[in-house]
Amino acid sequence: MKKLLALVLAMVMVMTAVSALADTFKVAFSQIGQESDWRTANTDSIKNDVGGHEGWELIYDDAQQKQENQIKALRNFITQGVDVILFTGVVSTGWEEVLKEVNAEEIPLILVDRMPDCINEIEYAAAFGGDFVEEGRRQTAWAGEYLKAQGRGDEEVNVVIMEGTTGADAQVGRTKGNLAGLEAYPNMKVIAQQSGNFTRAEGQALMESWLKSYDKIDILIAQNDDMALGAIDAIKGAGKVPGKDIIIVGCDSVKAAFDAIVAGEMNATIECTPLYGPFVVDAIEKLQAGETMSKTLLHPEEGVYDMDGGIDLGTVVSVKAADVIDQRQY
Amino acid sequence: MKKRFDFSTLARSKVTWAVVAEALILLVCLFVRPDFFKISYQPTTGMLYGNLIDIVNRSSEITIIAMGMTLVIALGGTDLSVGALVAVSGAIALKFLRWDVTIYNTPGDYTVYPFILVLFVPLIVCTLMGLFNGFLIAKGDIQPIIATLILMVCGRGIAQILTNGKQFTTQYSPFRVIGQGSLFFLPMPIIITAVVIALVVLFVRKTAFGTFVEAVGINRKASRLSGINAQMIIFIVFALTGFLSGISGLIYSSRIMSNDSNNAGLNFEMDAILAVVIGGTSMTGGKFSLLGTVLGSIIIRTIVTLVYYFGIASEATMAFKAVIIAVVIVLQSEPVRNYFAKRGKAKAMLANGGMRG
Repeated sequence: MKKLLALVLAMVMVMTAVSALADTFKVAFSQIGQESDWRTANTDSIKNDVGGHEGWELIYDDAQQKQENQIKALRNFITQGVDVILFTGVVSTGWEEVLKEVNAEEIPLILVDRMPDCINEIEYAAAFGGDFVEEGRRQTAWAGEYLKAQGRGDEEVNVVIMEGTTGADAQVGRTKGNLAGLEAYPNMKVIAQQSGNFTRAEGQALMESWLKSYDKIDILIAQNDDMALGAIDAIKGAGKVPGKDIIIVGCDSVKAAFDAIVAGEMNATIECTPLYGPFVVDAIEKLQAGETMSKTLLHPEEGVYDMDGGIDLGTVVSVKAADVIDQRQY
Repeated sequence: MKKRFDFSTLARSKVTWAVVAEALILLVCLFVRPDFFKISYQPTTGMLYGNLIDIVNRSSEITIIAMGMTLVIALGGTDLSVGALVAVSGAIALKFLRWDVTIYNTPGDYTVYPFILVLFVPLIVCTLMGLFNGFLIAKGDIQPIIATLILMVCGRGIAQILTNGKQFTTQYSPFRVIGQGSLFFLPMPIIITAVVIALVVLFVRKTAFGTFVEAVGINRKASRLSGINAQMIIFIVFALTGFLSGISGLIYSSRIMSNDSNNAGLNFEMDAILAVVIGGTSMTGGKFSLLGTVLGSIIIRTIVTLVYYFGIASEATMAFKAVIIAVVIVLQSEPVRNYFAKRGKAKAMLANGGMRG
């Protein structure tokens, strides 16, 4: 009799456990894989915020930079019957078929960071991505406002723009923004625009040549922090003082850039945040509540960090890097 | 007896045309921007400062690798793994400098493990990886392009694993000396490259090793029949190339004081192969020219420096490089060289009083 009771009890417990599992809200995330510090911070942010949310279960898939792995993962998500799919595509093309399968199962799809080319052909609940044009605009606007704050607003200055990998979304957007931002500052003249391929080594070599080719360079706009960090060494090599003789504005806001700003060797960095977790959680909560969101690309809030803070760029006011360096996660 | 100047053999040599190509490129510079050639002394760094110095300095990584690549190509093979080994070397060096970034969380003028490990472990690991390539090729009889593809693909993965996918930075000053230090008023990479070239040339030309490599490259079976240990030659050449990639990786990571597993050494295999080919060594194997390779590497870097210096738009950069390289390769082609050689011969004959016998 006791045995039977125990058996019944055990079965009841298993049943409740199973039903509890079925009740959890499953969020699946197909990430492209490891790529950079930025990507790691991006993954961690979503994993922690979504995975740590009460009543939600995160199913994470690392595609190791391969599209076929990602397509497989998406199909697995469908068969597992997940409730929401978060998706960052390793490339921009070739997603239409599998994303339409997701649509056919009516699983809400949230696009994160990278937008597939077929975005207009598919259904999605929300899309989050960086605003490269705005980041580019902030770079040159920061330099212009900084000069004004220094009382150099009317001084004729020469600007060099170190671009990212030619054709990359970030390069195209930031270049557009850089040039648009300059329109408000007629005293700033672009004397060179070249690609440093987003790497430290090439940023360094490019700056080395620029310093020999142009007698007067006042401002360096580097479309990512790595190139700016490479350029700092080249500027030192030419016997100039980075951050003083040449104003350096980077982009991304990686930890090493904060270190350089605090050390006084770099002036500012425009944030391109990988911390999408809170925004994604918010979107999923809205979906659960039955709300619909706008189809336009949503941009996470991003800051500007510099040596002293307080530079007003219209959409954002800069923050002193030294004050927030300890809170930086990547 | 003094050897008479012979234009025809000179014109037939590919190395001559590499020199001509480099001279032509620099001549164009001279007309467009004479200040391109300015060299001055930079008191803050204690180094000479100028574009020509930059060209030689920045060509170091490729030149060093291309020394090994020349021998690999002379054997009739290619080594695609060199770029990935550059990344591995840098990752290991930074791993020993920083070890666990969660404990040592700010970069500074320190090293967690002794500097000797920072220097030698990357070189040893890269040599072993080169040996692995050699093993697959010599013992497994796998085509070099396939065998080295393995490390080309997984090398960067290994570098990523070593550093947990993170980019470590350091400020350890002895490490900085490798890529940013100076000796005799010259950047350290130039000195390191000069030593490497001298050692490789001595090893290859002052011993029978070079002849053995050529023999194996021309006909492996025949060379074995004539008593050459072809397997041993292959082992040595690939291990040497791995070792040289390791040196190149140390220079690369010291320049940026960080590891960059995604970008370090990216496309270096292509640049190294190109340097060898421009330098006059045939992809089919056999005869090779180490000094031609040095020149090839310098030509490649001259083009890059030109692009930067003259501010050629980033969209046009690739096309610009392609055009120059195409011209260089055409100058070196068989028909062009023969054409000039024949003309030279004809002129010499005319000077000697017309056709004789």
